[in-house]
Amino acid sequence: MTTMPTAPDGSTNTQALPPHDFERALAEVVAPAYGYALRLTRNRADAEDLVQEAALLACRGRDGFQAGTNFKAWFFRIVTTAFWGKHRRDSRRPSTVDFEDAPELQLYQRSAEVGLPLTGENPTAVLFERLGTERVAEALAALPEEFGVVCTLYFMEDFAYHEIADVLGVPVGTVRSRLHRGRRMLQKALWQVAVDAGVVGATTGS
Amino acid sequence: MNALNRFTCEEAFRRLDDFLDRELSPEEMELVQQHLAICESCAREFSFEASILANVRDKLRQVELPPALASLVRQVVARAEGNAGDAEVNGGRGTARDPS
Repeated sequence: MTTMPTAPDGSTNTQALPPHDFERALAEVVAPAYGYALRLTRNRADAEDLVQEAALLACRGRDGFQAGTNFKAWFFRIVTTAFWGKHRRDSRRPSTVDFEDAPELQLYQRSAEVGLPLTGENPTAVLFERLGTERVAEALAALPEEFGVVCTLYFMEDFAYHEIADVLGVPVGTVRSRLHRGRRMLQKALWQVAVDAGVVGATTGS
Repeated sequence: MNALNRFTCEEAFRRLDDFLDRELSPEEMELVQQHLAICESCAREFSFEASILANVRDKLRQVELPPALASLVRQVVARAEGNAGDAEVNGGRGTARDPS
């Protein structure tokens, strides 16, 4: 049986986009989709393959997109599904960060302990300049998958909670709880990465 | 506004994430803002958390696009057009699943 992608809001197709409009909409989301794919796969070649595969699936399933709904959310849903299909079976490196205990305000407290700025217009600028993009991406990749995907969508795009819920096909409440917990986990992972890289001093806290 | 319907630190902090993401009702946004205006400690923590989110976003969005990406996708579209009559989509792949 052939199953086409459906609109993220689950509605049935009543009006497909004309081919030219579909291709234009696709062209507009390719760049952000690549950024999302890169943070999911952490590999440029895999990200490129993933976007191409998603584009092919989108073209073949274009009748599943309903004109007037959110094309980007629809396409990101296809990217996410293709990623899970291709990469979930791959063995992921077990995270070295213990996320069982990820309390609030981790970075605030750790920064206070080592004398990093707590106030000012952008108090964490110093820490993030020391970390750099690749270490931030490394910390994001350390999150358990169900938290990592939600956080990746949140940070890479200006999706609202309900749009992330549309992309993932989960309730808004699930997005909210995973995102809030995921952000606490990310703070812990960021500090661990910063300590491991030697860009901050180790503290007595975990 | 009187003291009875002001947020405490705990009530404001419980709404930290939703406040930063503008996912609160306008009334709750206002109550949090009023608390931050009178509580220096919470204002400092909220500002710090907002700074983290902005910097993570800024770093992760630094992505160098492959120069050939647009043309590769155009080729994919052309290929799909060429095979439109006999295209077969892998069952279920276009529908997202919850990973948990």
